[in-house]
Amino acid sequence: SGELYCSLPNPRNVHFESINMKNVLHWSAPEGTADGVLYKVKYSVYGVGKWIRKPECKNINRTWCDLSSETSDYEEQYYASVKAFLNGMCSDWVETTRFNPLTDTKIDPPMVNVSSTEKSISIILTAPEKWKRSPEEESVSLVQVYPGLQYNVSILKKKTKKRWWFSISNNTLVVPWLEPGTAYCVSAQIYVTTPLLHSGFSKEHCIATLKDK
Amino acid sequence: SVTKIRSSFTTIKANIQARDSIRTLSILSHPHSLHKVKVGRCCITRQLFNFYVDKVFKHCKTEDSFVNRKISSIANSFLSVKRKLEQCHEQNKCLCGQESDEKFKQILANYEGLNVTSAAIKSLGELDILLDWIEKS
Repeated sequence: SGELYCSLPNPRNVHFESINMKNVLHWSAPEGTADGVLYKVKYSVYGVGKWIRKPECKNINRTWCDLSSETSDYEEQYYASVKAFLNGMCSDWVETTRFNPLTDTKIDPPMVNVSSTEKSISIILTAPEKWKRSPEEESVSLVQVYPGLQYNVSILKKKTKKRWWFSISNNTLVVPWLEPGTAYCVSAQIYVTTPLLHSGFSKEHCIATLKDK
Repeated sequence: SVTKIRSSFTTIKANIQARDSIRTLSILSHPHSLHKVKVGRCCITRQLFNFYVDKVFKHCKTEDSFVNRKISSIANSFLSVKRKLEQCHEQNKCLCGQESDEKFKQILANYEGLNVTSAAIKSLGELDILLDWIEKS
């Protein structure tokens, strides 16, 4: 009679994956199901009474749904939920844990720009931007989101493999008293003390100081 | 202390929030986000630390000894911050205002709208809302 029996196994591992506050809901297909499973998704703002359906993720066969737009206010917290359908059967709704975009996002490494003189290297770091709906939307740097954001900078003298570490709050660093005509490699990481978050290290940017005139 | 509170809370956050099945209500964010409070921040911080010490931690006993230890560690950190805020208050450096008073009244009303254990567990599960707000200043 077309009535749905919710005896289909549940979707598994329903969770948010977030990078720079691009918040994407992911899950795994119900156990023992091959192809043909369809899903629908809903979400809710914690403390607010209603679940909201995500039309773009209705009757989809993929196992992810981008909820960045719906969860872009990082002063709120969220739940999301997924239901599976197959051959007239359905699963229960399966919920995420409470998602806090501010503390549960991962942060990309900073962009690194280096230039050199004979005896110094200048480094400019740029933190990633928070996810935004469209290129026209105003950019928000993660520096504005996390007041305690700092950078850990590593500088390697290639010739001797000697490495220095710096921890800075502003985004520029000048390293003086270097050896002319020598290659140095720079890598940087973002570090937020509270909430405790840190990016991976950027790839190394190598540059040589100018030769002595 | 706030960093220590944050790291202790992070280890039990999923456990505590899983015990709170009421999605449709929030103690700190209902009906308006705590983040909307801009004036009288010190006063409401002091009131909230008193609230957590007086009304929350003591009602958050669980069957899990690890979780209980973390809760008491958080409670102790709250006590030390609470004392500092009291000193500010005594020196008239932590003045209240209408906005913060109204917000705190709302928080108490939200708390008293639930049974004590549910309200306490929900409040504890919302600690990151409080910490996020404190760390923003």
